[in-house]
Amino acid sequence: MLELRLVQGSLLKKVLESIKDLVNDANFDCSATGFSLQAMDSSHVALVALLLRSEGFEHYRCDRNISMGMNLGNMSKMLKCAGNDDIVTIKADDGSDTVTFMFESPTQDKIADFEMKLMDIDSEHLGIPEAEYQAIVRMPSAEFARICRDLASIGDTVVISVTKEGVKFSTRGDIGTANIVLRQNTTVDKPEEATIIEMTEPVSLTFALRYMNSFTKATPLSSTVTISLSTELPVVVEYKIAEMGYIRFYLAPKIEEDEDEHETKPQV
Amino acid sequence: MGSELVIPKWASNPCIMGIDEAGRGPVLGPMVYGCLYCARSYQNTLSTLEFADSKTLKEQKREELFEDLKVNESIGWAVDVIDPRELSAKMLNKNKINLNEISHDSAIGLITRVLNLGVLLTEVYLDTVGDPEKYRVKLSERFSSIKFVVSKKADSIYPVVSGASIVAKVTRDRALREWELEETAENMQRNFGSGYPGDPQTKSWLENHKHSVFGFPTLVRFSWGTCNSYLKEGVEVLWESDKMDEDGTCSSHGKRQLKLSNVGFTSSKRRSEEIESSGKGRCKFFEARKLEQVTHF
Repeated sequence: MLELRLVQGSLLKKVLESIKDLVNDANFDCSATGFSLQAMDSSHVALVALLLRSEGFEHYRCDRNISMGMNLGNMSKMLKCAGNDDIVTIKADDGSDTVTFMFESPTQDKIADFEMKLMDIDSEHLGIPEAEYQAIVRMPSAEFARICRDLASIGDTVVISVTKEGVKFSTRGDIGTANIVLRQNTTVDKPEEATIIEMTEPVSLTFALRYMNSFTKATPLSSTVTISLSTELPVVVEYKIAEMGYIRFYLAPKIEEDEDEHETKPQV
Repeated sequence: MGSELVIPKWASNPCIMGIDEAGRGPVLGPMVYGCLYCARSYQNTLSTLEFADSKTLKEQKREELFEDLKVNESIGWAVDVIDPRELSAKMLNKNKINLNEISHDSAIGLITRVLNLGVLLTEVYLDTVGDPEKYRVKLSERFSSIKFVVSKKADSIYPVVSGASIVAKVTRDRALREWELEETAENMQRNFGSGYPGDPQTKSWLENHKHSVFGFPTLVRFSWGTCNSYLKEGVEVLWESDKMDEDGTCSSHGKRQLKLSNVGFTSSKRRSEEIESSGKGRCKFFEARKLEQVTHF
């Protein structure tokens, strides 16, 4: 028996909007600790990891660990039927092949039940290596989204370089080049507007902007974003979900063609 | 193919050769280049052999003449049959080779072949392909010892070219008549008509033999504009390699997109029984053969 009641129903809608274009089908794992998901995109270049801790739910009952395979497009369709202020409850019976989303209006005068068929998804579970990152940049999420969107109109890839001067986003395309430099800036009125750079070593990595622009769909979930970089490790783009958990996107970098032979060993 | 196995004595005397083509226009079947050569001294006799432009002769007559010239010991001949697949492939290649170039190469190939036999060619007559003067210069540069005569309607002016046109035309007709369709779909018919895009029989054959995925049988020259209108309703094919390009796996800036497994992510399958059939979810062909896509070998 599973019953998860989330007062901020809109949060779940936002979560789905941010991952449904990256991943088609995924298993949601429910345990006593929380509601989580880990899935790779079809080309195995990017990974999304979501955690909504049990404490963040108004009511959280999960008798035994279950994994529910869902088509994220279909799940998104159902969640779109919930009002922004609605309370969303996710329910599933043991051994059932369906999941029910219940939407209650804040005034309790409208209750809607949407039952969705579950899928049997053969997914790979990835072990994410623990790593010390050479550079961690925290910045306003809207600013990051803007940069990725702007650069994508010029080129396909972004080079993110962190030095003690600041963080530089650059691209090159047929029509020309673009460079955007952000300096550390902590003298702001609101803490979420700060740009904070922690760096142990300068680092410069190249990524496909197409994926970055998919990640920034999570911008409504958090006012800040944290970008963690290390040479030859996937970048981590993390959006914290207040009082509940996080959504993290991992993206493998692009390397020079002639480094073909080079492969990093898993750091486990 | 041809009578080149025994090198006749006259071949060491100055010889003339005619080259002509058959099946350049049709949308299906091979394009055939034929050549006919003989000693220059035989030229006068040649003109009495009733060779005329193959198009003006009846099929029956062409066959007869071809049989005659095959047994005529004073005449040598050779053909180059260009498979429709080769035409399609060359003309649709990323680096396109147009039909004129294919034709030139075929003619050059024939000349080289005859020279290698030990035939002393001094004059070669051809029907033009493209600009006659440019073609003549191209050939002359290549074979400096030969005098080239490139002209329009060469097949009706020079008997030696008329002869070549018979060789080419008969070879093409026979090839088409005996063509074994490689494809084994049901209701395959051989009534493809003349092969010219305007021929109603060819039109209806094309209509009845199109396939929404594979297009036409390999007999058809896919590079002909005629094909496009038939294939409009064909299904769109998504090529995995194209998709990789989109994914940036083969980026234009010489950067290679790594996979997560390249950068320290270790994967474990959730269900061990799935590991074996890794063609799962793909086309039956791949599944049956347990073929999977790999990035590392």
